[in-house]
Amino acid sequence: MSIAISIEDLTFTYRESERPALQNIQGLIEDGTFIVVMGHGGAGKSSLCCTLNGLIPNFFRGKYQGRVLVKGEEVARHKVAEMSRIVGLVLQDFEAQLFSTNVELEMAFGPENHCLPRSEIERRIQRYLSFVGLEKMRQREPATLSGGQKQRLAIGSVLALEPKVLVMDEPTTDLDPQGREEVLSVAKSIREEGRLLLIVDHEPETAASADQVWLMREGRLIAKGSPAEILVEVSALESCGIKPPPMLELFNAMSWPGNPLTEEAAIAMIRKHNLTKRRELNLTSLSSDNGKGPSILEAEGLGYRYPVYHVEALRGIELRICEGEFIAILGQNGSGKTTLAKHFNGLLKPTSGRMLVRGRPTTNYSHRELARLVGYVFQNPDHQIFARTVQEEVGFSLKALGESPKTIEKRVAEALEVVGLQGYDQKAPFTLTRGERQRVAVASVLAAQPQVVILDEPTTGLDYRHQINMMEMLRRLNQHGHTVIIITHSMWVAAEYAERTILLKDGGILSDGPTRAVFADETRLAEGSLRPPSLVRLSNWLGTQALTVEQMVRELRGED
Amino acid sequence: MNIFLYFDKNTWIHRLDPRTKILGVLIVFGICLCFNHPLYMGAITLGIMMIAISAKALPNFWRLRFILVLLILFSSLLWPFFAKGQTLLWSWGPLQVSKESFLYGIAMGLRLATFVAAGLIFLSTTRNEELTNGLIRMGVPYPIAFALSTALRLVPTFAGAGATIIQAQVSRGLDLESGNIFSRVSKFIPQAVPLFIYAIRHTNLLAMALESKGFSPESKRTLYYEPQMHKRDYAALVFLLGIFGIFIYLRLGLGLGVVMAGRM
Repeated sequence: MSIAISIEDLTFTYRESERPALQNIQGLIEDGTFIVVMGHGGAGKSSLCCTLNGLIPNFFRGKYQGRVLVKGEEVARHKVAEMSRIVGLVLQDFEAQLFSTNVELEMAFGPENHCLPRSEIERRIQRYLSFVGLEKMRQREPATLSGGQKQRLAIGSVLALEPKVLVMDEPTTDLDPQGREEVLSVAKSIREEGRLLLIVDHEPETAASADQVWLMREGRLIAKGSPAEILVEVSALESCGIKPPPMLELFNAMSWPGNPLTEEAAIAMIRKHNLTKRRELNLTSLSSDNGKGPSILEAEGLGYRYPVYHVEALRGIELRICEGEFIAILGQNGSGKTTLAKHFNGLLKPTSGRMLVRGRPTTNYSHRELARLVGYVFQNPDHQIFARTVQEEVGFSLKALGESPKTIEKRVAEALEVVGLQGYDQKAPFTLTRGERQRVAVASVLAAQPQVVILDEPTTGLDYRHQINMMEMLRRLNQHGHTVIIITHSMWVAAEYAERTILLKDGGILSDGPTRAVFADETRLAEGSLRPPSLVRLSNWLGTQALTVEQMVRELRGED
Repeated sequence: MNIFLYFDKNTWIHRLDPRTKILGVLIVFGICLCFNHPLYMGAITLGIMMIAISAKALPNFWRLRFILVLLILFSSLLWPFFAKGQTLLWSWGPLQVSKESFLYGIAMGLRLATFVAAGLIFLSTTRNEELTNGLIRMGVPYPIAFALSTALRLVPTFAGAGATIIQAQVSRGLDLESGNIFSRVSKFIPQAVPLFIYAIRHTNLLAMALESKGFSPESKRTLYYEPQMHKRDYAALVFLLGIFGIFIYLRLGLGLGVVMAGRM
């Protein structure tokens, strides 16, 4: 096999920054290999992707040392448009990379730029649309596609250029589990075609099938090797902000022989070495009463239709949420999670039925009154951050609610302490990292001290370390008596943190109960196109109560 | 929310070459300037509405009904005070309304509404890419044509982000329902700043994606939807030009369709 990519002692510093984004990167990649790059937020993964097609140094300027050769061409010497014949790049944000008015034009855009004849463009549209499984969507407007379809279209539109090397920068991060599956299966067929594929991803499960795994930390490539070599280095993974494979953690903690990366491998090893016995899962011991405190949110026959399309987004929702609960709302995109949550703080008003907050319909509240009772943190912190200082940003809601400057100062300090941002008050929020901005957004909602805090995708876009920080913070809030409701795609987050799980499908409740019970019913979850995380699947197989590695270790050792 | 105006239908207007449609809209603008008598102007408006019906563009007119009605209403109400006519109907101090200025106001309202209507039909029946390709084939430099169509394309995207931003701020207690004009302006900042930052970030990502797909404004490119002038295109243009010619003759040669001489 010949060398396709050669990175020679590459160091790059963005013009605005002092610290190098990439430092002394060395690497050789052979034709047709599948590489997964992992690392914490800000480790330089995206920068690495951009050096492969010339966006660095031609689009992003800065200090560039060393060389990158792709198929023998020195990337820095070519325009990005020229490199597009060899290297295709798919970005994380699929909304921003699609801009045509229908699917076939989106596919045609790249070949049009390369000035290919129209018959050839036609051939490529057909070939690659069916490759990504969108041939039936040819005349659709990209905005009407689901997240997974959009990202597949983005991949197809890059493949239409027939690049030898395909680079995907976190293609699944913003997707729901089904969209993720779709994109990964496309990635699999790209691999089978023999193209070089480089993916940035957070999930060790993706990396398990790679030829090579690269670990990055603070701009350096700290390790590379086969998945079997890299993924067993639990401490190295954690230092790079990656969630170690739970099976491995479990086997290490139990001192069982073997290093399984997947649940199938783990089950095979447990059987082979007869490591533990399967038991009957006892769900009756799980208390079904969710009556912690007085009920705070109640939906009675709640239905909602969007005014423009008359699409029924929610129908017949019956729900009671009590003070002090920690709830995860799960479901595919379009299942109505966000629509439901927006009823909790009155952003949307039911078109049929009632939504009660503390026994009073949301239609009888003003937005201000509800903002004091129910806080809502939107998915993207950048949709709300506007102020010059963190202090001003966090104090915004209090000011809007007419609190005195003294109270504002006190509450802002408290909120910043809760989210772990003490001493940040005078910093400019825009200069913070994504994780920190997310915390600022949470603090700005907490400052009004609402009883209920709703968070839409609180962990998306954060690396493992920041995800843990965020969730631990929410757990503390919950222990202080706040009702916490998260909308999430991340199954392990729901499994480890939520006491109660509500599963939505097509605007109705598919199941609702203690998280362990909801996750025990894998067929019901599959109906909602979801799958429990691998550890819970193992737990279901073993018949244990455990939802986390720690709990399972305790249970298997018989300490419970 | 979808605020795109294009309808993916297959009417005779949809099938016209984008160049025909661009020129056609310009000729219609010219036709609208021929008369200032409300009857004559009304006939033109009616004709345009017939075209709108055959282009199946009426849902867009329904969506923009408030703007259209406001246009007609405001110019019918305001113009009479600024144009001076002979036959006085009503006066109060320096304010005067004459029969001519009253009719002139109605005609101007219809004219503005017809301008908007022609534009609406165009946007309802022409894809963004067709507009770009038409402009390129008419000799407009590609970067300019592309910038124009991208700007049109980004309006719904930014409107969507704007709606989310407003919801996020309302959730934090931003009160958009009350307050005087000054406090309203100060409430604008929490909405505008995130939107600007979103726009900058979004366009930056878009530029990255475009370049990665081989886009470069200087070089030649294939047009997958190659515009083609057919017989029907020439027929449509000849027809519109003919009407324009006749109307100019009616106005300048015969002096018809005028309530206020010396005004457009």
